[in-house]
Amino acid sequence: MVLKTKNENKNSIYVPDIARISRIEKLSPTEKLFNIAFEDEEKQNNFKFLPGQFIELTIFGLGEAPFCLASNPNNREFFELCVRNAGNVSSALHRMEEGSKIGIRGPFGKGYFPFEKMRNHNVLLIAGGLGLVPLMSLIKYIMQHREDYREIMIVYGAVNPDSILFKNDIGYWSNRSDISICISVDNPDDKWTGEIGVCTKLIPRVNFPPEDTYVVVCGPPVMYKYVIVELEKKNFKPENIYLSLERRMECGVGKCNHCHIGNKLVCVDGPVFSLWEIINLKEAI
Amino acid sequence: MLYKVMDKNVYQDFIKALISNYEFIGPARKDRSVHDFVPIKNISELDTNYMRTTIPPAKKLLFYPTEKLVNYEVGKSIDVKPVVESKERILFGINAWDINGMNFLDELFTTDFIDENYISKRKNLMVIGMDSQPTETNFSPSMGADYAKSGFDIYLTELKDKYFIRIGTARGNEIIQKYAEVRNATAEDFKDYDKYLDDYRMKFKLNVDIKNFYDNFELIYNNEEFWKKVAKDCYSCGSCNLVCPTCFCFNIKDDMELNLKEGNKIREWDSCMIPEYGLVAGGHNFRPNKENRLKQRYRCKLKTFIDKFGKYSCVGCGRCIETCLAKINIAEDINSVKREVSV
Repeated sequence: MVLKTKNENKNSIYVPDIARISRIEKLSPTEKLFNIAFEDEEKQNNFKFLPGQFIELTIFGLGEAPFCLASNPNNREFFELCVRNAGNVSSALHRMEEGSKIGIRGPFGKGYFPFEKMRNHNVLLIAGGLGLVPLMSLIKYIMQHREDYREIMIVYGAVNPDSILFKNDIGYWSNRSDISICISVDNPDDKWTGEIGVCTKLIPRVNFPPEDTYVVVCGPPVMYKYVIVELEKKNFKPENIYLSLERRMECGVGKCNHCHIGNKLVCVDGPVFSLWEIINLKEAI
Repeated sequence: MLYKVMDKNVYQDFIKALISNYEFIGPARKDRSVHDFVPIKNISELDTNYMRTTIPPAKKLLFYPTEKLVNYEVGKSIDVKPVVESKERILFGINAWDINGMNFLDELFTTDFIDENYISKRKNLMVIGMDSQPTETNFSPSMGADYAKSGFDIYLTELKDKYFIRIGTARGNEIIQKYAEVRNATAEDFKDYDKYLDDYRMKFKLNVDIKNFYDNFELIYNNEEFWKKVAKDCYSCGSCNLVCPTCFCFNIKDDMELNLKEGNKIREWDSCMIPEYGLVAGGHNFRPNKENRLKQRYRCKLKTFIDKFGKYSCVGCGRCIETCLAKINIAEDINSVKREVSV
C-alpha cells in the first residue's frame, strides 16, 4: 500500500493546544460550566465546531478526557464545557480556578446533530441528566436561527430539582412562546410543582407529526432503550432520530479503539448517530 | 513488482553487506522453541529457519508497548512538543502473515487521521520478507494471510539452489542493485516458484470455516449460553492482545517527570479483555463481563474490519492460541460458530 503523508501540518495528532479557563460557573452541586479560549488568538478564531462534536481536554501532568461542547457554534470568542465532577480529569478540572491553563485537542467527530437537515422541520429534543449538555449547542444554534425551524420542544429529565442544569437558559426559554419545555424530576422536593418521574413518560404527549419531525436524544446509556420504544410507538422514523453515544474515548482520532462498537468508532463516526445507522449494531444501545 | 533471481552463493555476501550498512533486525534463536527479532551484528546470530516468535516483529519495531507521544514543560507558560522517533532500519526475515498484520496496522494508523508516531517509524523501516515454517496452530491460509502481496520492499523465497526475489518498492530495488547480483526471473524460475508455493501451502494443517462467519456471527451474538461456554475459562489477562500482530488498542496517559517541570503524554498498550477497557467516568462499564469482552474481540478480529478495510484483522498466526493460559482457541471457536448455526 501507499503510505499517506501529512504535509500541511507537521504536528502530531496527540499534541494539545494551550487554552485558558476564562470563567467558571457552578450549575449544580456536581456540575460546573467552564468558558474556555485558546491562548493563540488565531487558533481561537479558526476554532469551528458543529453541535454534538467533542474535544479532548488535557490537564497537564494528570490526564486527558473527552467532553462535549456545550456552547453555540456561532460564538467564536470562547467555547463552553459543562463538566460533572465524576472522574480523574473532571475532578481536577473542578479544582481549577479562572485563568488556569489546560490543553485542548479537537473538535472531533464526523457525526453531529444535523442542524441543516432539521431546517423547516419540527425538532424534538430529549435529554436525560447530563445529556442536556451536548444538546445545548444545538438548542442555542436553533434559537439563534429560530425562523428557520418549525416547532421546537425540549423534554428534559433530571434526578432532582437541584440537578437541573442551565437554569438561566431554561428560565429564559420558558418565557418564550416559540419553544416548549417539559421538565420531569425523579425525586421532587417540597417546592417542585412540575412533572415527576422519568422523562420517557412525557413522550406520549408529544404531538409532532412523525413525517416532518427530527428527534435528538442524549442521556445515560440506560435511557436509550426506553426512549426508542416510546418514539417508535409515535412512529418517528429511525433515520430522523439522532442519538449521541457515550463511550470511553482515549484518543479521539480513531486509533486507540476503546470506543468502537462493531464497525463504528464513536469518536470518528459519531458521537452522534442516526438510529438507522446503529439499528442492528449489537451493543450500541 | 519486479521478479528476480539470486544464486545461493551470493546470499551470504548480500546479508553481510546489509548488516554492515544498516541497523539490521532479524530473527535469532532465544531458546529451543522460540525466536525473537533482535538487532543483528553478525551473520552467525541470524537464524531465518524459525517457527515461533512471541511478539510480532513489525509491532515490536513500530508500535512500542509504551511510547512517548508528547513532551511538555510546565512553568509560567506551557511548552508542548510532539515526540516523533524515526530511524532507518531493516526488518529482515518477517513472514507473510506478519507482513499482512503490519499492512493492517499501516492502514489503521493512516485512516481518518495520520499517526505520525507510527508512520514515521514505518516509512523508515525497510522490510525484507521470508517464509517461515507454520506452527500447528497457524491457520493463515483460511484468513488469506499466508501470502504477502504488498507491504515488503523485498521478499526472498528460498528455492533449491536459488532465491526467488519479489521486489515491491523502488527502495528495495535500489538495495538489490547496490548489494546483490541478480538476474531476471525466467519461465523456469516461475515454474519452480509455483511448485514451491504449492508445497509450502501443504504445510499449513489447520483450517477454519470462516466463510459465512460475517452473517452467522449476528445470529450467534445473542446466544448467551454459547458465549458462556466459550469464555468459561478466560482469566481476562489480555495475553492474546499482547501477542497479536494486529491488536492496537492503547491508553493515553499524562505523567510528570520527577523534576515536576516536565511531563509527557504517553501511550501504552491496552487490552480489550481486561475489565477496565469499557469503563467510563461515573462507573458505567460498557463491557462488564468476560463473555462480552471475548465476543467483542472476535467481532473486532473477524468482522469489524471486513466492513472498514475489506479484510479480517486476524491473520491466523495462532499466537493467541499458543499463549492463552485457559486454552481458548479462536480457530476452534470460529468452527463452533459455524457448527452451532448450521446444525
